[in-house]
Amino acid sequence: MQAPLNSLKLLLPALIPSWNFFDVVAPSPRIEYVILSEKFPLDSEWRPFRPRPKRISTFEMIKRLFWNPHWNDTLFATSCAERLVQDETEHSINEIFLRILEDVLVGPSQPPKTSHLQFRLVFIQRTGNELTQEVLYISPYREIKL
Amino acid sequence: MTFELALTLTQTLLCLTFFQQCLEHLKSRDSLWIAHLVRSICCGLVIAGVLVEPALATLATLSIIYLYRYQGPYNGGSDRMGILALWCVTLAHFLPQQNWKEIAFGYLSVQLVLSYFISGWVKIINPDWRSGQALQDVFLFSAYPVSEDLRKWANRPYVLKTMSWAVMLFELAFPFALATQSSLIAGLVIAGIFHLANACLFGLNRFFWTWLSVYPAILWFQQRLTGA
Repeated sequence: MQAPLNSLKLLLPALIPSWNFFDVVAPSPRIEYVILSEKFPLDSEWRPFRPRPKRISTFEMIKRLFWNPHWNDTLFATSCAERLVQDETEHSINEIFLRILEDVLVGPSQPPKTSHLQFRLVFIQRTGNELTQEVLYISPYREIKL
Repeated sequence: MTFELALTLTQTLLCLTFFQQCLEHLKSRDSLWIAHLVRSICCGLVIAGVLVEPALATLATLSIIYLYRYQGPYNGGSDRMGILALWCVTLAHFLPQQNWKEIAFGYLSVQLVLSYFISGWVKIINPDWRSGQALQDVFLFSAYPVSEDLRKWANRPYVLKTMSWAVMLFELAFPFALATQSSLIAGLVIAGIFHLANACLFGLNRFFWTWLSVYPAILWFQQRLTGA
C-alpha cells in the first residue's frame, strides 16, 4: 500500500507543476569517489565522478540532441546528490554507488580484488566574489565485488 | 488546426520523444529494462496509430512505475512535462464527452504557457537574475555546462546580463503570443531556439524534444481561445 501512495505523491507535482526553473542558483554538488584497498581514506586520492570534457565540438553538441544517455544519467546522479543532502535515503546512495561502480569496472585500471568504494559530495557555491567548497556528505564504505 | 489533428500530432511527437528516451535508458543498462522495452513498444503503437488507447493507458501506468523507480522524475522538469502531456493526452482519449476532452487537452496548453510565464516571474523577482549574476553563476559553478570551456562565459557579465533580460522578458511576454496565430508561431520559434540553446550548452536535450512535442496542443488552444 505504501508504494502506490508514494507513487501518487510523486505524480502530483508532475500534474500540477511549479515551473520555477532556476529561480535561485543553489550550491552545486560534485560527486567524488575513492577506491580503498584497506579502509583508510586519509592517504587516498578522491577522484571526480565523470568530469566534464575541456571542450565539446559543435558536431558533438548537435549529436547529443539525439543521443545523450551518458549526460542525462550524470544529471540524474546529480539530482540524487542534491536529494541526499536534503533527505538521506538508501535509494540515492545506491543510485550513486551503482554509477560509480559501473564506471570503475569499465575503466582502464581495474580495482584490487578486495577493495572498497566510498564517495563524498562536495558542494560549490559563490560567496561574495569567490567560489567556496564544502563537503556535505561522506558515504559509508561499500565492498567492490568483482 | 482541429482538435483531432492536434491530439494526434501531440501524442505522436510525445511518443517519438519517449522512444528516444527509452533507447537511451536501454543503452545505460538500467535495471528497469523490461519497462523501457514495453514503453518502446507502446510508443511504436501510438506512432503507428494502432491500439492507441490501450498503449496510452499502459504508458500512463508506466509513468507511475518510473516515478517510483527513480523516486521522482529521472531528468527533472523535462520528465515532469512529459508525464503531464502524457496524462492530458490519455485523458483526452478516455473522457466521455467532447468538452471534457478539450478541457484535459487545454489544461496541457495552459501549463505550457505557465511553464514560460512562471519561469520568467521567479527570475525577475530575484535581484541576482536582474543583475545577470545568476546566469554567471550557472556558467561558473553549476552542474550544467557541458564542457569546461563553456565556464569561461562567466567572464562576460554584460553579455550574460543581456541574455538574462532577453530570457526573462521573453518568458514573461509569452502569454501575449496567444493573441494571434502569427504571434504564437513567432513565439514558439523563439522558444524552440531557446530550448535548442539549452540543449547545446547544458545538455538538456530532453527539454527540447518534450516542449516541442506539446506545441501542436497550444496551436489548437490558441484557435479555440480566439475562435479563429
